[in-house]
Amino acid sequence: MENVKRSKISMSTHEAIWGYVFLSPWILGMIFFVGGPIIASLILSFCEWDLIQPPKFIGLDNFIKMFTTDKRFWTSLYNTFYYTVLSVPLGIIGSILVALLMNQKWKTVRLLRTIYYLPSVTAGVASAIIWMWLLNPDFGLVNYALSLFGIKGPLWLADEVWSKPALIIMGLWGVGGNMIIYLAGLQGIPQQLYEAAEIDGAGLWGKFRHITIPMLTPVIFFNLIMSIVWSFQIFTQVYVMTGGQGGPSDSTLVLVLYIYQHAFKFHNMGYASALAWVLFIIILIFTLIQFKFAGGWVHYEGELKK
Amino acid sequence: MADKKGSSFWESKKRQNFIISNILYLIAWSGAIIFVIPLVWMIVTSLKTPDEIFTIPPKWIPISTVTLNYDINIKAKQDGVVSITKREDGARILTLGTFNHVIPEVAVLQVKKGQKIQKGETIAIMPKEGIVKIIENDNKTKTIKIVTKEGGLIKQYQLPENIKLFVKENDVVTPGTKLARINPQWQNYVKAWAPEALDETFNRYLLNTIIITVLGITGVLLSSTLVAYAFARFRFPGRDILFLIMVSTMMIPVQVTMIPTFILFKYLGWIDTFAPLIVPTFFGGGAFNIFLMRQFFMTIPYELDDAAKIDGCNYFQIFSIILLPLVKPALATVAIFGFVYNWNDFLNPLIYLNSTSNYTLALGLQTFTTMYGTDYNLMMAASTIVLLPILIVFFFGQRYFIEGVATSGLKG
Repeated sequence: MENVKRSKISMSTHEAIWGYVFLSPWILGMIFFVGGPIIASLILSFCEWDLIQPPKFIGLDNFIKMFTTDKRFWTSLYNTFYYTVLSVPLGIIGSILVALLMNQKWKTVRLLRTIYYLPSVTAGVASAIIWMWLLNPDFGLVNYALSLFGIKGPLWLADEVWSKPALIIMGLWGVGGNMIIYLAGLQGIPQQLYEAAEIDGAGLWGKFRHITIPMLTPVIFFNLIMSIVWSFQIFTQVYVMTGGQGGPSDSTLVLVLYIYQHAFKFHNMGYASALAWVLFIIILIFTLIQFKFAGGWVHYEGELKK
Repeated sequence: MADKKGSSFWESKKRQNFIISNILYLIAWSGAIIFVIPLVWMIVTSLKTPDEIFTIPPKWIPISTVTLNYDINIKAKQDGVVSITKREDGARILTLGTFNHVIPEVAVLQVKKGQKIQKGETIAIMPKEGIVKIIENDNKTKTIKIVTKEGGLIKQYQLPENIKLFVKENDVVTPGTKLARINPQWQNYVKAWAPEALDETFNRYLLNTIIITVLGITGVLLSSTLVAYAFARFRFPGRDILFLIMVSTMMIPVQVTMIPTFILFKYLGWIDTFAPLIVPTFFGGGAFNIFLMRQFFMTIPYELDDAAKIDGCNYFQIFSIILLPLVKPALATVAIFGFVYNWNDFLNPLIYLNSTSNYTLALGLQTFTTMYGTDYNLMMAASTIVLLPILIVFFFGQRYFIEGVATSGLKG
């Protein structure tokens, strides 16, 4: 073995070189599959390109068309916001509530956790198909359950008013994934805090309001950002449930489906890139806003840290 | 008399907590039942016949009994003047007002053309009993015909495969006799596995998915551990900035990079091959996995590295001999997440794979749905097939999922 200390290059340079060597797969990946494509898609968004003719620079035309004449763009934007605005808060509240339940000391709690977590790993084509069947207007279990309460269920995926709520309900089936994150967060809260609060006479609600929630805020913050990023990217469920159409009457045409249609069905690579960049910027703005306001509500444990 | 005892019972904090805990327990289980119903319903539906699917109320057990069922006295459904037309098969159509009664040939009419009758009156009488005739069809199904002594058809039942017959040829039966029991339709899985309307069987999709998944996991494991090792154990200029960049790529929607990456692969001639799904995994393995592995490496004391260095290990040996064996649980977590990701991935195969012989299970399942749109029993059987490996891996590797999420989700 070569003695590194005797070599001309210093120990720290040696270490740095090896660091970059081990990092190199990621650096190459960043250049070819992340950074490069991001810049390329920005350039493409100012072009018109059908993959057959050479790309043609058209300046801001894609963006002008998008914001002024393309009604489907606005529809897809509206649908994506609708989905996000409802599914993210409901998902976060739902997963926190389930996590609180799963943090109890019951004998069957492990089995319960498994059951709640299970649907989140089945996300994909199969679960979309299961929900198409559950939401079948005439023979689906959901409408049957509603009928037991005397409610006539809607047409769900065949009704432009109810198609988006159907997607949201289906999404909520997957709250188990986030539940695990909150559960880990709950288990990280030092028990002494609760004991101290009890001595001060705090009840269940008081402990929840003044200890659990503040201590969970870093997790909620992280989860909120990722949930918004993910919900803006909803695609598979919509594609499977509507056969790639986003129907009925574009009521489930979400932004990513619209990007997909332009890129891989109509071969408008330039326009699709412009749409993708708009999606990117929206997500970026949302993320930055959250970071800006994080100081106001996210509680980082300072002196509490063990 | 129980007042005093009762109030102390309710006021005691322990009792209160006990009661609240029990209510929560009930809520937790009710929720769990709702959460598990979709999957149970998938399996139940996958074992049904087409007739059993479309019933209200829904049947929870995919077993049903076929009972000989007809009214001996056919009664008028409306008031009106009788008009009769004969059908080619011998049945008569008896029209009363706006309602058409179909009277089988074997029934004896009790009314005449032009006769004025009222709702509820008997208009025809069916034979009181019939003889069973069992016909074996080519496709392993059976048809049961109930006929008169003269051979006139009273009633006919088309039965699926997998039944238990309660009657024999030439048995005499009356309305209400149980003819057969329809058992769970296991052969739905065979039909879904090799669908007639698709060019390929699920064998092919399964093989493709396994190839992509195995190679994808290999790529992710190899590169994410190496990169995480660099981030966790080396000091080099720009490390923290690069790490921040790496973490923030988690927030970049794939759609931004999707189109140029597609064009790149198109120029490389990789469209309709597995390469676009596999090759990128060898270049970093995804921010999430790198992050997860780094968190695990950070928990291992540096003293181990130093001791190995003194023993003459180089960096690669420290990585492979000392550190990797210590992060086995993390490797399992990354592998399991990689498995679930590849197995469920839809967008990438949809973009890159064109010919049906290259389809993955997810793509095959989606195509299957478009072809068998209302055969929910077959669609549920196909979905069960696709989900089964995920469910198995989940049950055996549960703790890795939970550890993985807990490690990465928190320390962010």
